[in-house]
Amino acid sequence: CRQGSAVVSRLAPPQQVRLDADKETQTLSVTWEDGHASTFDVEILRTELMEMVLNETVGVTEDQSTGKHQWNWTSPVPLECTSLSVKVRSRDGQDVSEWSSQQILPGLDLPDNTDSQMYPEGKTVPVGSNMTFCCIVEEGQQFGSLWYKDTLVKENMLSRRTYATTMTNQGPSNPSGTNVVCSNEKKMIIAGAVVFVGYPPLPSDLVCETHDLISVDCQWSKGRDTYLFGMTRQTYYTLNGRNCPKARNSNMRCGLEQWDGNWTLVARNLLGEFRLTDAAELGHRVRPVAPVNLTTPEVYSWNASVGWLWKDKVKSLNGCLSGHQTYTGYGLNTVVLKDLQPDEKYSVKVRCGSQKNFWKWGEWSLPLSFQTKMDRPVAPDIWLWMDSDNLGRVLWKPLTKSESHGQISGYEVILWSPEENSQQTLTLPRSVYSLPINVTDRGSKVTVTARNPAGVSLPANIVIPRYLPDAEDTAISKVAFNGSGFPLSWVAHANASCGYVVDWYNTSCTQDCNVEWIKVAADNTNTMVQSGNFLAGVRYKFSLYACSSESTVLLERWHGYMQELVPSRTVPRLSPNQEGADVQLTWDQIPLEHQRGFILGYTVYLTNASHLTLLANITDPQLTNHTVRNLVLGSYKFTVKAYTAAGEDGGATVSISLEPYTYWLIMEILVALGTMTCLLIVITIAFTGFSFSIFTILWKTMPGTGLICVCFQGTLDVKPSPHSMVHIVEDSVWDSSKEALVTVPEEDEEGTGDEAADTDEPASLRYYNQVVEEGSSSQRRPHASDSSASSTGSMDSGHTDVTYTGIQTSACYRPQMQSASCPEEPQTGPEEHLQPPVGSFGGYQPQCSWKQDSPEADGDGLDQTCLGSPTSVTSSQFLLPYDTSEEGKEYPSSASTWFHNLLTGKP
Amino acid sequence: MSGTRTRRGTVSEQTRTARAAAVAEQLHHECTLLLELYRKKETFAEELTSGGDRLVTVPPLSSQLSPNDMLWRLYSALQQCRNLLEHAIGREEGVGNDRNRTEYESQKKTVRDRLGHLLESTRLLLADGAGTAAFTPDPNNTEIDGPVNGSPFALKLWIYRIFNELEHWTLAASKTLKALHPDGAAPKERRTRGRARGRRTRR
Repeated sequence: CRQGSAVVSRLAPPQQVRLDADKETQTLSVTWEDGHASTFDVEILRTELMEMVLNETVGVTEDQSTGKHQWNWTSPVPLECTSLSVKVRSRDGQDVSEWSSQQILPGLDLPDNTDSQMYPEGKTVPVGSNMTFCCIVEEGQQFGSLWYKDTLVKENMLSRRTYATTMTNQGPSNPSGTNVVCSNEKKMIIAGAVVFVGYPPLPSDLVCETHDLISVDCQWSKGRDTYLFGMTRQTYYTLNGRNCPKARNSNMRCGLEQWDGNWTLVARNLLGEFRLTDAAELGHRVRPVAPVNLTTPEVYSWNASVGWLWKDKVKSLNGCLSGHQTYTGYGLNTVVLKDLQPDEKYSVKVRCGSQKNFWKWGEWSLPLSFQTKMDRPVAPDIWLWMDSDNLGRVLWKPLTKSESHGQISGYEVILWSPEENSQQTLTLPRSVYSLPINVTDRGSKVTVTARNPAGVSLPANIVIPRYLPDAEDTAISKVAFNGSGFPLSWVAHANASCGYVVDWYNTSCTQDCNVEWIKVAADNTNTMVQSGNFLAGVRYKFSLYACSSESTVLLERWHGYMQELVPSRTVPRLSPNQEGADVQLTWDQIPLEHQRGFILGYTVYLTNASHLTLLANITDPQLTNHTVRNLVLGSYKFTVKAYTAAGEDGGATVSISLEPYTYWLIMEILVALGTMTCLLIVITIAFTGFSFSIFTILWKTMPGTGLICVCFQGTLDVKPSPHSMVHIVEDSVWDSSKEALVTVPEEDEEGTGDEAADTDEPASLRYYNQVVEEGSSSQRRPHASDSSASSTGSMDSGHTDVTYTGIQTSACYRPQMQSASCPEEPQTGPEEHLQPPVGSFGGYQPQCSWKQDSPEADGDGLDQTCLGSPTSVTSSQFLLPYDTSEEGKEYPSSASTWFHNLLTGKP
Repeated sequence: MSGTRTRRGTVSEQTRTARAAAVAEQLHHECTLLLELYRKKETFAEELTSGGDRLVTVPPLSSQLSPNDMLWRLYSALQQCRNLLEHAIGREEGVGNDRNRTEYESQKKTVRDRLGHLLESTRLLLADGAGTAAFTPDPNNTEIDGPVNGSPFALKLWIYRIFNELEHWTLAASKTLKALHPDGAAPKERRTRGRARGRRTRR
């Protein structure tokens, strides 16, 4: 700031200083006269607060025409905001004049202008601009705050009522502009301004072309967004000086009626303008209009001709595209469309381009529809499916639209019989695709033809094979679905002169199965079987046939699943069988249609509430039983699940209760006591009566056994019978080989050998008392001289058992040679076969499991087995028999089961 | 007006009043949303109020008034609201094509339609029905027609004030109509037009 000199200057101060304001541009123009200098000091103050705004030395020359000096200054603050005081003085080096009189540019914050205002309002500025906004507060109100958008900004006080803020580097505005808001102390909006911040236009890629060889159509890209919207701020375009009112939004195009060869596009908005130019010869920018009036003068089955017309001069152009085919020719207006399909609807449209100086393809014409004529169908794809040796079905696939060449009206099947030199012709409707035939003529031929209104197809022939392949003898292997189909491959077959056929069907299907097939060329040895009919969880069987002119030969078979699933049902007929402390579970295989995958095996679980404990994993899918061993008394639930590659089924559960044998034991004791009572009665009768001599005889014929063996038939209802007898057998030498029940057929005693006599009296009892004496003959007990003595000796002997044995049907029980209390008894040789299953019946062991071919039985010439419960008198054990299954498994006999069930109350 | 009047009004009146109250409540909700959409579109700070004098001028709704007079004043206020809204729609330049503008324009149309519905519902509740005369704004109030100086901000602020008036009067309508409903506290009482205070113009 230069201060004036105290020395009186020779320079005169500027006169008639005048201020002119352009508020829109915020420009202040200062003019003065009589300066007589070329350099001046200018000082600008805010009038109200006397704050210095500008103090600058400027060079201003005199306008010779007017004799005035003029200096312009652009204020950063809108000139409306507050009053400015301006004064000027002349300067010549260090010599300065007096200041001119102060001129004031009044602001709008003067007291007589009471309203609230904000400036500048509605300005449009480029992105990045800096701007100062001022708020003039209404007279009498208190200033509150300034907001730029919704952001509070810091203000600067310019006068008593004026507050300003400066925004730098402004970003693009919203479509409706950026608001600057002024509020009073009550946060009430009292004034505001909108500023539109955006860009000048920047279009690109101006290209002009002609469609009709006359007019011009120019297009360009809009380019960068201006962020300026609305009638006053949007971008306007002119092309060669003519307005382009239709150039809006994204449709940047403009047309002229005549081809000029040079075009200038001007894009203009409030922030500026941008120019683009383009130039070209007419022949190089031809994009033809669309052809019109398309026609099809000739339409056939496999081709058709299409014609069209041109507008105006375009007909002289070359080159057209129709559909996906290109045709060229001068003035082209008709083409022949080839490789069409019969009886097919087509839609054709045409566009054209200039062959010479090709620029772009023209617009498509309107489409024209036509339909080709029909033609005779192709020969059906046929196959012969043999349901049995003499019953088969001729199958053929429905013809697709591209094969039928017209609506199929029906099929004709001819059955040739060469031996009889005859033929049988059958006409079938179009909805039938198979014909059952009774194949009697091996090697005969079947011909199928299809018919449509255009004619009959070529015949499709198949020969009935002379020998049916034995499908069951052909190994079948698994094939896996690979996501798109079943890949099959095979070794080439010499007799496959006409290729191979692969057919397949649902393996579970038993009647009228849906058979599909594909034919494979002779030089191929693999194929991918694909079908839209494949379903998850269904097993398909694939058969490969070699085809020749004479017959078809089955070569290989596969089966597989498109997707394996878990079985849809559980194993059927799951049942438990108690075998002492073991439980054998048996079940049947899941029916094929429910397997839904290859059964890989079974898992056996012990079920406890909802918890499953795995007992066994049976990996042999053919094995359908499992024995759970060494169970203690109690109730059990077993679950058996079959599993496939997809997982296990829901599981079949079965329960079994291993009963305690308290009741069973009591009943055994009661029965034993009753039996013993009956035995005593019988013995008493026998010893006191008529049979003494017989005892003696038998004692001699069965020496050394030391056993008393009694057999009885039928029930335990003992009653005296003429056939009943008691044998007391005693031998001085112990024969271990006869350490078993000794049965003596009645015929042996009576010497009649009449079987019928036995069966006539099934309830009769035969008693064989066998006194067993251990050791050598010297240790033998003396022969009993009477029945009482014998009886006494028998009862006295610790090694004497009295056994009741019923001889009736097929089972027999030998007496227990060694009771449970005598473990010292040797158990070798045949005795090993008598060992009962460990742990059976809760620790009670049956005495024996007698077999018909046992040495003892054979030795005695006994060819029948006994049924009943042998009872050891000494141990009072009621001994349950074992039955022998055909697989060597032992099951309780039906009688014992019945009796056991009776005791336990089971049905 | 159909139906026979009783001390408690007819069933059809009750239904109409209830329906009008429901429409007013819904409209108030929609006006609140419209105001919020506009505020966001114009990035007005939430804590600032639009200020200025009321654009809608009717005598105050007092509890001392008869139900019919209350309805009358309410109806007049809503009429003025509709006129203001139509003015605003006519003067606001629809610029931009972003999602905010689409949502805003849609809501503006919804409010306009619903306001017409509420006006018709309210008119049917008035004692003299179709032959009504409504309070009209003071002709000296130049703010009714909006700013004339071409200031974009003045136009925005004027629209903002109109939407605030809409929000205010639809809330008043909702409360008043609920109060006039027979289930509410105020029994309906027939009053003549002549008793209504304020200047009226036959429509």
